[in-house]
Amino acid sequence: MGEHEASGIFEKTFDGLLGQDIYFWNFIILMVFTLAEVGAVFFVGIPLTAVWAILIGVGIVKGYGIAAYFMHLKGDPRIYTRTALFPVLFVVLMIWGIGLSNPDGVDALPGWCKPDWDYANTR
Amino acid sequence: MSGGEAHVDNSIWMRAVVIGGVFLAIGVLAFATMGVGVANVKHHDYEDAQHDYEEAKDLYYTAKDAYTAAAADENTTATELSALEDEKTTLKKAYDDAHHHEIEAHLSYLTWRTAGVTILLMCITYAAFMALGGFVNSVQPSEDDGHQESHYGGDDHEHHGSASPIVFALGLMLFLMGYPKFQEVLGNMLSGADFALGDLSMSMLGLTIVTIGIANWWREDLPFIGNGEQIATSAPFEGQHIRKAGLWVFIMSEIMVFATFFSSYLRMRTGWCTKWSWDEGTCRELDLDGNGVTDVFASHELHPDFVMTASDYLRPDGAAGTGDFWTMLPGAVNTFALIISSYTIVLALKTAKAKNWEAPKGALGKLMPTQKAAIRNYLFATFLLGSLFIVLKLIEWSHLVAEGFTIGSQAGSIFFISTGAHGVHVFVGLLVMLYLVFKADTVGYDEKNAQGIEYFGLYWHFVDLAWVVIFPAFYLY
Repeated sequence: MGEHEASGIFEKTFDGLLGQDIYFWNFIILMVFTLAEVGAVFFVGIPLTAVWAILIGVGIVKGYGIAAYFMHLKGDPRIYTRTALFPVLFVVLMIWGIGLSNPDGVDALPGWCKPDWDYANTR
Repeated sequence: MSGGEAHVDNSIWMRAVVIGGVFLAIGVLAFATMGVGVANVKHHDYEDAQHDYEEAKDLYYTAKDAYTAAAADENTTATELSALEDEKTTLKKAYDDAHHHEIEAHLSYLTWRTAGVTILLMCITYAAFMALGGFVNSVQPSEDDGHQESHYGGDDHEHHGSASPIVFALGLMLFLMGYPKFQEVLGNMLSGADFALGDLSMSMLGLTIVTIGIANWWREDLPFIGNGEQIATSAPFEGQHIRKAGLWVFIMSEIMVFATFFSSYLRMRTGWCTKWSWDEGTCRELDLDGNGVTDVFASHELHPDFVMTASDYLRPDGAAGTGDFWTMLPGAVNTFALIISSYTIVLALKTAKAKNWEAPKGALGKLMPTQKAAIRNYLFATFLLGSLFIVLKLIEWSHLVAEGFTIGSQAGSIFFISTGAHGVHVFVGLLVMLYLVFKADTVGYDEKNAQGIEYFGLYWHFVDLAWVVIFPAFYLY
């Protein structure tokens, strides 16, 4: 965070532009995208999928801006990025396994998920 | 500064006690003006609006009954019936307007009352945090009295490790073990019911240990000027600061915590029949008992299988019909506040690390005449923005509860738990930030010891990152 030099297209384009550093431009981009995010819900009538696309797209850009530049994963040793990404596997599994794949998970668990359930109840 | 550390005498610790007193005064003042003064005026307005509403309601139903009776009477002429219908229509509009005005007056009252109470409670916590930490350290013998040059004996090679986090964690564990009784006793105290003070023993023991842990942590960290930072000597973090690696591992666990909330929300959300899913045609197989979906959502009389989410109350086209620009405003302002606060903490770190810092020109230069003042003020700006976040969040919650969106429903439960957990993270961050502001104002930060700001900044940015996911998922979708 603010201690190493990072290089890339974004840095080459924005670092030093109008006398401002990369953090300033990252901040401006985050503000603009947030405006788009909040503004999207005021456009009544646009399809749900379009709203979803805007929200997810904006979320990815904002997440990248914060993690890469404010948290300085871009420029810090790779081990920090790996540490940050380590839980992604579990997060994906949770979102897919719990969040999206089994809407009846709470009320209608399959039999193999609850062995001896009746026995435990009667006992 | 002496040896490997800054010299911190008792007068510096007493300054923390004084700052605690200032926070208490600010809290009381804010509560007196907003929570009592303005809120009482707003409450009178609310009572007047309630009275107007009841009057308008009576007038409307009287006119409605008169119209119904006249319509059934064969002797009523068409002109008379038309006049009665016009009157009924006019009074219906007045009735609707009065109802709308009553709701507005109620929410306005809640805004001021909640803001006042929240600021008071936050300031009491800030005051306790500062005053207790300062007091516990100020009553300990000064380092000069012990004939030691510094806390670590002035040895530059001593490490900056600390056992305080373990003490703190132990206290927190005991407090949480005693929390059910703590909450029960406090509830009984406030409601005037019987309670046993002994039931507070576990939680109070926990809080005492937490206080000792925090105070000792301060004592160890405040003199730190950058010497003795521990470096990892083995893979995978070899050559890296151990504190930084530890913080990233902590953030990793936090990602899991918020992923749990998010996946639970997705699991529930995919099973709910909301207005959006209805519009998309994904839950039309539900038996509507003859009610059209538009009527069901518009009338607020919901079919049991329909679910209203927080966004239904907040979005302009939400199913509850209560959303507009103003209901979106607190969440939107909070989003911007967190992003700005992320930038101010970056500026604080950048200023601390600057070797040839120059005071900015113009008005900003007056606010930040020295490098030390600039770091402190950037951190303080971050602190104010975070505090604004908490106040707006609780105002928004009070409005949602008043409109019927409570923690009692499944949708309310996941919303309040997720946004509440995030709010707790913000608030804990604010307490740490208070300490950073205090250190910036006393010992100060420079390029050698700026890690404190950097590592806290990582946590703060993570809190911002979590909001990037929570805000669209719970407020916009």
